[in-house]
Amino acid sequence: MGTGGYEHVDRDRAGQAEAFDAIGDRYDEAFPHKEGQLAAGGWLTASLPAGSRVLDLGCGTGLPTARDLSAAGLQVTCVDLSAHMLELAGRNVPQARFLRADVADLAADGPLPHGGFAAVAAFFTLLMLPRPEIPLALRTVRDLLEPGGLLALGMVEADVDDAPIPFLGHTIRVSGYLRDELRHVVVDAGFEVIKEESYTYAPASTDVPPEEQLFLYCRRA
Amino acid sequence: MTTDPPHTHAAPPRDPRGGLTAHATLRGALPEDAPQDPPPVAACDLPPGARRAAADPAGPQPPGPATAQDRGPATDGTDAPYGEPVAGQGAAEPPGATSPYRTSAGGLPADGDGDGDGDDGPYPEAHGGRGGGDADGEGRPYGHAERPAHTLPDTASRPDAESRPAAPQPPGAREEPRGDGLPPIPAHGSGWTPEPTEGNGSLGTSYAGTPQRGGPLDPTGHPGDEDSVGLRIPMPVQTGPEADRLRYVGAATRRIARGLDLDEILLGLCRSAVPAFADAILVYLRDPLPVGDERPSGPLRLRLRRSDGGLDGPDPAGDQPVGAVGPPLPTLEPAYGSEPISVLLDGPLAEVLRGVRPVFADSPRAADALAELLGNPEGPLPTGRRALLAPLRGRRRVIGAAVLLRRPDRQSFEADDLLVAAQLATHTALGVDKAVLYGREAYIADALQREMLPDSLPQPTGVQLASRYLPAAESARVGGDWYDAIPLPGSRVALVVGDVMGHSMTSAAIMGQLRTTVQTLAGLDLAPQEVLYHLDEQAQRLGQDRMATCVYAVYDPIAHRLVVANAGHPPPVLLHADGLAEVLRVPPGAPIGVGGVPFEAVELPAPAGATLLLYTDGLVESRSRDVWGGIELLRERLHDAATVVSPPPLEPLCDEVLEILGPGDRDDDIALLAARFDGIAPSDVAYWFLEPQAQTAGRARRLIRQALHRWDLDDQVDAAELLVSEIVTNAVRYAERPITLRLLRTDVLRCEVGDDVPLLPRMRHAAPEEEGGRGLYLVNRMAQRWGATRLGAGKVVWFELPLG
Repeated sequence: MGTGGYEHVDRDRAGQAEAFDAIGDRYDEAFPHKEGQLAAGGWLTASLPAGSRVLDLGCGTGLPTARDLSAAGLQVTCVDLSAHMLELAGRNVPQARFLRADVADLAADGPLPHGGFAAVAAFFTLLMLPRPEIPLALRTVRDLLEPGGLLALGMVEADVDDAPIPFLGHTIRVSGYLRDELRHVVVDAGFEVIKEESYTYAPASTDVPPEEQLFLYCRRA
Repeated sequence: MTTDPPHTHAAPPRDPRGGLTAHATLRGALPEDAPQDPPPVAACDLPPGARRAAADPAGPQPPGPATAQDRGPATDGTDAPYGEPVAGQGAAEPPGATSPYRTSAGGLPADGDGDGDGDDGPYPEAHGGRGGGDADGEGRPYGHAERPAHTLPDTASRPDAESRPAAPQPPGAREEPRGDGLPPIPAHGSGWTPEPTEGNGSLGTSYAGTPQRGGPLDPTGHPGDEDSVGLRIPMPVQTGPEADRLRYVGAATRRIARGLDLDEILLGLCRSAVPAFADAILVYLRDPLPVGDERPSGPLRLRLRRSDGGLDGPDPAGDQPVGAVGPPLPTLEPAYGSEPISVLLDGPLAEVLRGVRPVFADSPRAADALAELLGNPEGPLPTGRRALLAPLRGRRRVIGAAVLLRRPDRQSFEADDLLVAAQLATHTALGVDKAVLYGREAYIADALQREMLPDSLPQPTGVQLASRYLPAAESARVGGDWYDAIPLPGSRVALVVGDVMGHSMTSAAIMGQLRTTVQTLAGLDLAPQEVLYHLDEQAQRLGQDRMATCVYAVYDPIAHRLVVANAGHPPPVLLHADGLAEVLRVPPGAPIGVGGVPFEAVELPAPAGATLLLYTDGLVESRSRDVWGGIELLRERLHDAATVVSPPPLEPLCDEVLEILGPGDRDDDIALLAARFDGIAPSDVAYWFLEPQAQTAGRARRLIRQALHRWDLDDQVDAAELLVSEIVTNAVRYAERPITLRLLRTDVLRCEVGDDVPLLPRMRHAAPEEEGGRGLYLVNRMAQRWGATRLGAGKVVWFELPLG
């Protein structure tokens, strides 16, 4: 596996985790309703036997996903790049395991065992990466999953690459695809798309524009 | 604004100090000048009624029988075109108390206007009888102390009588005997009873013979000062009929000229004339009245504007309305509403009017003129020297005529009375001229204020709006309050209410400047605190003393949020759907125009069904309560309205809110803006960031197609795809950062494309061989509406397509 394909990318994360460190709790205030995320998380709990190992990639505050997965009897590992977010998640989901890491760190020879998870939830995590890294991250996720493992992926529909957008008083850089392109990227990374859902989401903040949220229900092919 | 009650100008502005030229001239010419203030009387030893006569009507009133002044302001009758704007104090004579000398009787034109300014009696010091010198303490303005046979029984309401304790009057006597100021007339009056003077005894001669004393030129000081310190020097008094006449003219013209509006001036004339000079008066004015130096258009027509008195003898009841007194004026009342009299071009009336001078009806021509003016009254008209027709000549031209009549049992007018009538007519006419100009100024000020306010409010999606503007009760207090609602990109709307400090025409003009500035800043889609910051800067650039308070709120119906910034304005109140009325916690901020103080915005939830109220302090602050008391009252009223039906309908809610004002509470203008938050469901919205690339237009088309399919709007796909393709193609040409594409489904399909290039696209006709340049032309042809808005960083181009 080597470097997981990261040998040619400039892993620039400047300001991204820091923004979330600063945003903290306000993230949940700005995004109070998460129907799409709850539904996708619910798909995981419904599909997995209790005790299954699940990775919440970009867990944020742990709400609602890590909490719900954990409450469903799954063994949850929470990963985030923001220390403050992990701290909040630690309070919200005390029974989970926590790891502060970049998704790139989870590529070959990373701290987490490849093939060791029955499912991965990645809600609005990969959009924090520059576009060239998203296929790499998806491939890493695929590697972390056991064969036939599930991926619940949440993205924002947008045709941008590492574009700065205003976000709760900060500027973060985001990337995205329109839904057709996203499907291709996911399939190319070795997934089968079982289902696709989309929601228009209006954050409860004038500082975040409304967004088209896409949820892909995927299985490692 | 169409829902606002029409503003009436029935109460033209009053300047407390007047400053009318006629007034000043008169005062300057007077041998004795009454002190303006304080009133030269010691009020401490007065009975309550008399003290009240000198008291500020706005001040606390001691209990006691009602006086004319008590009723004065209340019955001000500003709505009645010919009502009594002021109560005639001079009419408060008890029945039977009048001197045969009507010159010094109840109709005297002393300060009977109820303004309580205390500068009563044009000549309070004229006869040296005030204070201590006069044995009987009579303070009659016309100085007849030396003629006991003519002295008046004192009345507490006569200002000059205040210098000695008057016996309290029975309540009935305190009442104004007659609504329109006709005191009882003695059975055998003798007119002026002037002693014949040499020749025609002109007023000028008499005036020249009047000793100068006590005036401003007198080195001994002001008479009022003398009076108040008891150093009054007895002064010789000019006596006799010429002096009577002169004093009468002085008092009467002052009474007339001090009026600030038409009604006051005409009332002044009538009160001055009846009964002192005549038993009845009718005042006609041109219809329409020319304003300023404007040349009147159309034929000369006269309309009866006021009348007073009667010819049927004394009326003991004293409360008969005008026209019910007896012949020849039994039909006077209907005459007010009747058509104006068209003056025959070369008729007798026109001739008299052209002559400018007053005439008796003792010539056939004058009698004809009188008949032309009065028509055919039921009773016999006084004839000869018992009827006097005085043209009212203003600055440029005759603006009306007054008819003065004496009863048969009264002495006829004398030749000198023509001079008196001429004085009354001149002061009346000049006063009317100025009152009309003054009224025009108030009208212009009010029109300016209204012109500066929005004609109508926008009707943005996701919010209902209603507004009210009420001028201050006194229309001269043009307010400078404003409100506004400005649609912003993304279906947001900026809600603004502001209040320029001060009350004048200037306030309205400044308001116009500030409102325009806010509109411009809002159009740039700046954050609320930025809008206020730049407004503050701009206010300082516009000039000094551009002080205002302002609250600026942006409602986002999709996010259900409100962002508010405040510049020293009373806080908005949010009525929640459950009936809770919440005073929003908004940092107060410094007023606009202070400078250098940063503003702070707060973001608050704006749930659907809630109602935001922005208002100016006129709504909540009054003489009787402070701002916070008023806000509490507003909160309660909103809560009460919501208990009936929640959320309460918006327009009635505005009316209800205005009811928290008491009848006397409107001494400031009021602007009110109410916004009912309906919100827009996210399912009616779509929003994307798109990297500006060659393929972006195609991707935008695809997104539109998918979204319209989701919304079952496939019929709109072709047009929407075409238009969005044109706009996006334009946008990506120069944009560096991702463009935004927003779709909104309401009763129309709205599409907004935002980019980071501030340059606005302009429609142009492409030459036949040109490949491009047809985009906006196409948009213009196909869209129901479209537009381009420049933002702080970039622009938004939008179009709307009809649904179905």
